[in-house]
Amino acid sequence: MQMEQRKKIEPVIQCDNLCKTFRTPGGDQEVIRNISLDVQENEFVVLFGPGQCGKTTFLNMIAGLEKSTAGTVTVSRKCVTEPGPQRGVVFQSVALFPWLTTMGNVEYGLKMAGVKKEERQKRAQKYIDLVGLQGFENTFPVELSGGMKQRVGIARAYCIEPEVMLLDEPFGALDAQTRYLMQEELERIWQTAKRTVVFVTNNIEEALYLADRIIVLSPCPCSIVKEFEIDLPRPRNYTSQEFLHLRKEIDATINSST
Amino acid sequence: MKKKKTPEVWICGIVSVFAFLLLWQIGCSVSELGKMIPGPITVTGAVLKSMVSRSIGGHTLWIHIGYSLLRVLTGYILGSALGVVVGLAMGWNRVVEAFITPIFRLIRPIPPIAWIPISILWFGLGFQAKVFLIVLASFCNVTLNAWAGAKSVDPQLIGAAKMLGASKSQIFFTIVMPASVPQIFAGLQVAMSSSWTTVLAAEMVRSTEGLGWMIVTGQTNLDMTQILVGIVAIGVVGFILVAVMRRMEDILCRWNKGKR
Repeated sequence: MQMEQRKKIEPVIQCDNLCKTFRTPGGDQEVIRNISLDVQENEFVVLFGPGQCGKTTFLNMIAGLEKSTAGTVTVSRKCVTEPGPQRGVVFQSVALFPWLTTMGNVEYGLKMAGVKKEERQKRAQKYIDLVGLQGFENTFPVELSGGMKQRVGIARAYCIEPEVMLLDEPFGALDAQTRYLMQEELERIWQTAKRTVVFVTNNIEEALYLADRIIVLSPCPCSIVKEFEIDLPRPRNYTSQEFLHLRKEIDATINSST
Repeated sequence: MKKKKTPEVWICGIVSVFAFLLLWQIGCSVSELGKMIPGPITVTGAVLKSMVSRSIGGHTLWIHIGYSLLRVLTGYILGSALGVVVGLAMGWNRVVEAFITPIFRLIRPIPPIAWIPISILWFGLGFQAKVFLIVLASFCNVTLNAWAGAKSVDPQLIGAAKMLGASKSQIFFTIVMPASVPQIFAGLQVAMSSSWTTVLAAEMVRSTEGLGWMIVTGQTNLDMTQILVGIVAIGVVGFILVAVMRRMEDILCRWNKGKR
């Protein structure tokens, strides 16, 4: 019912026949073949696929960090040509500025936009609190744990108040325990400050826990195998019947596609 | 993580210095080579004496150190500042890089002391000629490192800055510059030792004061003690300069600890 209503509105992200071919000395390598995808406002879409399948490249094209060989990406009717504050990115490698403190990293975008110090620190503090890092405002990234670094990364992207959030396997480098915790945290953050989200992962539990919709991608060249609408109530239970059932179903899809 | 020095390390260091001084003292009385130079006690006495009396060329030791330091620091600051600007520009802008690289590659292998005759021809025997040489000595090292630093900035950091809305010039000042600081510091350290050697060489060729001059006049007057006082002073001042640089780096690059 809710999904029906959403689809009437114009999608926030529109990917139209995206293709990407890398030119290497050993010949051309086709990474992405004809992906078309629409994402609605405040929808949480997970791109799910095996490692090295090109899902990061796909996300980078939405971010504007990589150019497509053919096809277009538009976000809120604007054609994406380069990275910008319209689309907040959380990187797999975190990519925090190591010479800036937590506060320095989170307020960076506002500082570049010329927001006055008092105002931007107030706004940055809001997102630092949201990700649960109060007390670590003056800590440098080198002194933070993996999970905390990724929290800073999320706060930094959130703080520029982008229309969409793009997360590239943000919890890939974390241990299992921290990973569960961060998934729950992200769910909470997203519930508190709703955004249109595209989230890349190769972890099926993570996908099922977070997604409104899972896009299953095939390995090289990357294309859409199948989509799953997930309308389990949130927060979800990793061991509920429905959860496990969906997990089996998606597993079967992957196995039949490879 | 940089380890703090344990008491054992301190004890080993002190023992090694004393062992060296003891060997020197013994060597001076037993070996033929040693008999030609004064022992550490004589030298220490001479160092202390020269600190208070104008016993070397009408100046105290402090004045000689002061002259050498003034020349070094003037040239070093000018040369390093120029090196940072040129190096960062080369790393940031391909056109600048394409123009400067060939000239830079040609000038860099020339040791600064090779310019001594030209420096005298252009600037005479005084302050300016020495400063010119030290500018050259520090410039090349700092340029090279600033250039490498600006070129090796993690492209993901630049991507992240663009994503956060930074303009091209903002990226230069807020990403490329701070990211290059550790590399620039490595260059500044090498440049400091290079400048220090260069000033001494320049003073040994032509000068009327300074630590380099002290050594050469010691040789002319067959004054072994004066030579050794000069050498000790060079060592100690060099040691202090490097220690000051390290401390500055520790403060400025606090965020980079663990990577060194």
